[in-house]
Amino acid sequence: MRAALASPGHDAAVSDAHAIAADGLEKHFGPVRALDGLSLEVRTGEILGLIGPNGAGKSTFIRSVAGLVALDGGRVTVLGEPPGRRVSSRIGYMTQSAALYEDLSIRENLAFFGLVYGLTRRDARTRGEELLSLLRLTAKVDRPVHELSGGQRQLANLACAMVHGPSLLLLDEPTVGIDPELRRRLWTEFAGLRNAGTTILVTTHVMDEADRCDRIAFVADGRTLDMGTARELVARSGASSVEDAFLRLRARSTP
Amino acid sequence: MNPTRIGALAQRIIRAFRHDRRTLGLIVVVPLVVMVLIGYLVGDDKEELRVAVYGMEADAPFAQAFDEQPGVAVAGTVDDVEAARDEVLAGEVAAVIGPAGADASAGVLVVVPGEDVQVEGPVVQSAVRAAAIAQGAQLPVGEIPGVVVERVSLPTGERPTTISFAAPAMITVFAFLFTFMLTSVAFLRERSSGTLERLLASPITKGEILTGYLLGFMPFAAAQTTLVLGYAIIVLDAQVAGSLWLAILVLVLLVIGVVNLGITLSFYARNELQVIQFIPLVLLPQVFLGGLFWPVITLWEPLTWISVLFPVTHAVHALRRVMLGGAGIGDIANDLWALSAFAAAMIGLGVLVLRRQRA
Repeated sequence: MRAALASPGHDAAVSDAHAIAADGLEKHFGPVRALDGLSLEVRTGEILGLIGPNGAGKSTFIRSVAGLVALDGGRVTVLGEPPGRRVSSRIGYMTQSAALYEDLSIRENLAFFGLVYGLTRRDARTRGEELLSLLRLTAKVDRPVHELSGGQRQLANLACAMVHGPSLLLLDEPTVGIDPELRRRLWTEFAGLRNAGTTILVTTHVMDEADRCDRIAFVADGRTLDMGTARELVARSGASSVEDAFLRLRARSTP
Repeated sequence: MNPTRIGALAQRIIRAFRHDRRTLGLIVVVPLVVMVLIGYLVGDDKEELRVAVYGMEADAPFAQAFDEQPGVAVAGTVDDVEAARDEVLAGEVAAVIGPAGADASAGVLVVVPGEDVQVEGPVVQSAVRAAAIAQGAQLPVGEIPGVVVERVSLPTGERPTTISFAAPAMITVFAFLFTFMLTSVAFLRERSSGTLERLLASPITKGEILTGYLLGFMPFAAAQTTLVLGYAIIVLDAQVAGSLWLAILVLVLLVIGVVNLGITLSFYARNELQVIQFIPLVLLPQVFLGGLFWPVITLWEPLTWISVLFPVTHAVHALRRVMLGGAGIGDIANDLWALSAFAAAMIGLGVLVLRRQRA
């Protein structure tokens, strides 16, 4: 298993090259092993796609990076620090469902989260307007969020995760329940952010989104099955597609 | 009207309850608790009012005749009127009775706590009957032996009007109910919408979250209290003998505790229905046992120990002392300490449950 994980720079667990370095993470919920020795690295400035079925441990991993999970074992370093409050202002966390205040408008949500992340009132407003135009959110920005469509909510959700200009973005299934057009747009935004220097960790169980990531990590049963570019993973497992590669690896790893 | 569809709908509701044991339990538990309490409180087998006597022995004819009256019992003697006032103020006994003057013709003096108007009636009635019996006289209709009532802790000595007496309880219950409902539902939403998760992943601290909630709800609680208090004073002519600011301090302490109670309990609810179910469970025992309708001193002793733990008991007591009796901050210090302890305990619980969110 470890051999398959080997990638350049793996030994330098804490370095500027890695935005996230996780080693042997364990998290048990009763008898369920949500994380069962998961190890992976996210390089600074890349989009790493975490791909795996429901219940693979993707969300638990993202939450542990966000400092929301007390690990039962292993070690994780985020931007060179242990997860928690100290590093939290440099991380943007986009939750699975649109975690917004329904009775506030998009503008008010943005301003609120900006202030929570320590921006000044003026900076929060400026930054909010920048994001609104970047994400082309122009309609209904002053209407309560509960009046918005699912797609607009998800864009607003992304905007709120980015309001403080984080250098690491954690995106938990950002494209679930979104129409193809908006999905494409979101991925374009992610690529743009990456090009501007933001590191992105994104989870998905949609295999064709793998091609849009710089590298992917296959995750199942709380472990990393393999990591690399989509092309590498396909070639290494002798598969015809990313989906095929995943299913083969999965079959091989299941006793 | 399709019976199959109607049946399916009814069955759906019943089946859903099967998986919500808590609601099912509450449907049974809440009415049972309430009926047991009401049965006890309005029933005849309540504790007798413990009344001390002065200026006579406990087995004097008058004291014995008084003891035989229903609902009251002689519970020892005190030295003089001064001691009687202290005992009543301290809540050691419900009332003290004794001779009103050196001469027997001066009648009977009844010393009662002014702010517990429910104590006065039965004690005065029993004293009247006991005096008549002690004099060996049948009581002619309309002729009442002289009974003087002294209401300690009331500056005017006048019996408070019903509205003056009810206002402190109403204000307390409104403040509690409103604050609890709003905070618990708001925090439940914070949790179920995922925004709490988002906050916990941000640099905000748990103390900042709790303080922010408190400050956010305070203006609404204050506006409502002002409205209720203002209406009671201006329109209903309720009296405020003491400092209005002291009354507000009592309510602020109460609200601080209740905001955090709401936050804490919202963690034990899955949805709005379950949060709303906490309201009767949390509020009714306090209303029944907090001295709002039945003075705490008339309760069965173990119930008074529970009553002491309730914030509503202390808030109502302190507000009555301030609004009816013109009490100062020193007179209600015990209640203020109790309310502060409640607030501190609830803040502690709030921090604990927030910390537990980080699973």
